[in-house]
Amino acid sequence: MDMNFTADSSLAPSRWRKVAYGGMQPGYDDNHTDETFLEDMVMNANVVKRNMLKVMQDSVSISQYLCIVFLVVLVWIYTLRSTLNENSLLLLDISLLGSGFIILVLTEEMLSLKRLWNYILNVSFFTTGLFVLAPIYQTLTRSISSDSIWAVTISLLLLHLFLHDYSGSTIRPSGALKNPNLTSCISLNASIVASVFIASRLPSRVHVFATMLFSLQIFLFAPLVTYCIKKYSFRLHLLFSLGLMAVTLTFVYSLHCLLFVLLVGILIFVNVVCPYWLIRIQEYKFEINGPWDEAKLCFDITD
Amino acid sequence: MADLKHRILMVSDFFYPNFGGVENHIYYLSQCLLKLGHKVVVLTHAYGNRSGVRYMTGGLKVYYVPWRPFLMQNTFPTIYGTFPIIRTILLREKISLVHGHQAFSTLCHETLMHARTMGYKVVFTDHSLYGFADVGSIHMNKVLQFTLADVTRAICVSHTSKENTVLRSGLPPEKVFVIPNAVDTAMFKPAQQRLGRDEIVIVVISRLVYRKGADLLVEVIPEVCRLYPNVRFIVGGDGPKRVRLEEMREKHSLQDRVEMLGAVPHASVRSVLISGHIFLNSSLTEAFCIAILEAASCGLLTVSTRVGGVPEVLPDDMIVLAEPDPSDMVHAIRKAISILPNIDPQVMHDRMKRLYNWNDVAERTEIVYNRALKCSDQSLLERLSRDNGESE
Repeated sequence: MDMNFTADSSLAPSRWRKVAYGGMQPGYDDNHTDETFLEDMVMNANVVKRNMLKVMQDSVSISQYLCIVFLVVLVWIYTLRSTLNENSLLLLDISLLGSGFIILVLTEEMLSLKRLWNYILNVSFFTTGLFVLAPIYQTLTRSISSDSIWAVTISLLLLHLFLHDYSGSTIRPSGALKNPNLTSCISLNASIVASVFIASRLPSRVHVFATMLFSLQIFLFAPLVTYCIKKYSFRLHLLFSLGLMAVTLTFVYSLHCLLFVLLVGILIFVNVVCPYWLIRIQEYKFEINGPWDEAKLCFDITD
Repeated sequence: MADLKHRILMVSDFFYPNFGGVENHIYYLSQCLLKLGHKVVVLTHAYGNRSGVRYMTGGLKVYYVPWRPFLMQNTFPTIYGTFPIIRTILLREKISLVHGHQAFSTLCHETLMHARTMGYKVVFTDHSLYGFADVGSIHMNKVLQFTLADVTRAICVSHTSKENTVLRSGLPPEKVFVIPNAVDTAMFKPAQQRLGRDEIVIVVISRLVYRKGADLLVEVIPEVCRLYPNVRFIVGGDGPKRVRLEEMREKHSLQDRVEMLGAVPHASVRSVLISGHIFLNSSLTEAFCIAILEAASCGLLTVSTRVGGVPEVLPDDMIVLAEPDPSDMVHAIRKAISILPNIDPQVMHDRMKRLYNWNDVAERTEIVYNRALKCSDQSLLERLSRDNGESE
């Protein structure tokens, strides 16, 4: 290999340059790996370091919603067994509606009279519609056997829990960040269909109306109310969730022992085991970024 | 020294009559290797009616195997279905080395796997950059790891592409060679007469898709037309984003300043390029941009986004780089317009003749082939352990 050395050059004739033009660089093979190889690689740039306590606090939202769904199922069971009669159910509905409104009014910073009137109008339309349609729901599933109803309801509720949007609310309050996506709409629909199926097993029209009102109230508005509470004050949210969990556990214990054990197991799994697991497997996260990445556009594409 | 003549099989799903970076690379590389005295055979899938054995310029034999492409010009992956025909071709042509192109080609992966089973030495060239995060890339990288676990040598078209390939496939860096593409400077000559300078023409030729930065063009073109009344745009190429460009044209009333040519056949690319002063490339990711080389060979000054391997392609006085951001690109175009009086297309063309040459690429590839053939053979057990461990 002939090379021209200048008088005071070091051993290598010229420095290797990271360029593609000019053919083979003299003195270097094509597979030469320089010290600057992979110099621009950035690892784990966007990874958030998680804290166990914060993750456990965030998982409280999930267990709170789980308890709400359990309470709804409890009310259904009591209604189907005729332990709860229609008048007490109606009373329960009205008190829930009232307390929901009060919480909304208290926690919303800029609630105008116009918006409140809007809410009241919508709720009254909704209730009237339900009352008018109650006879249809009563006879809807008369030809279907009870076993199929229980099986379908449970699968729909599982689907609802699986696809539910735990961070926000499908019914958008004012000022919410993101649009509802497909999975949250599917979960809402699943819960509504499950309530219709259960309501259709009840004896009288008033029963049907009261149960439908109760279930739809909870499934449509409970995420909104809990979202408003969470936005208002995190401590209030934690207290509310713990209170809800205690109430659920008491009622389930008085109903059936095995269900109680199951519920306790699920709550421990969601609140303790999952956060620990998440933090353990985060050590393996390996995110690679570098000059080879596709550039991200900094503006939104509006069609 | 290099007296050993090889018999090489080039494999890829992408070949003539398709036009593109990989297709041109395979064709020109094969022609130059033929000139050096080696024998080259190309294996690809049938394109419409074009099926069977064809001979191209210089005695290049091409096998258009009658399989139907199923997704983006790729053959349907039947892992063992391709084995009989590949074995027949390998034995009949007395191949000594198999060279596969493009990670996205299923035919390439299958052929490399079968060739390794039969004990042939295998070289792989990667032409694209991939990410690591989305589902398609993760799948692609897994397939690539499997194939490259026992490839003899690998070639990448730029240093950034080498870093990317080494990370994706886990190959040791010493096994990867960097041999860039080149351009046929005889075909891309500058215009006979230099263009007048009173009106500045900016040329864009690319597929109008998201990946090639068509959305950046939609933001940049109106701004440049507003700032410089004497600038005109020529946009060649077609794609899903063409509608957005037409809308931009209507919205800002730029019908007389932005000319949309539609899809430009490869033979007419030169005539479009020589009608301009500046070439604008706005892609969001590029392993090695041949379009920039063609533009520089025709004597145009290039303005491009600083992505992937683009900063390595041209010397700093022939290209102006910008971040993929509309305001930065407008700034770069302003700088290009100010440098334009110092650019002589014929000088640029002569420089390109010295910087990029397909014969040089073929000689460097020949060195890779010689190295690959000198490697020791591997027994089946070693090969399986390597595939399983996916180690170097």
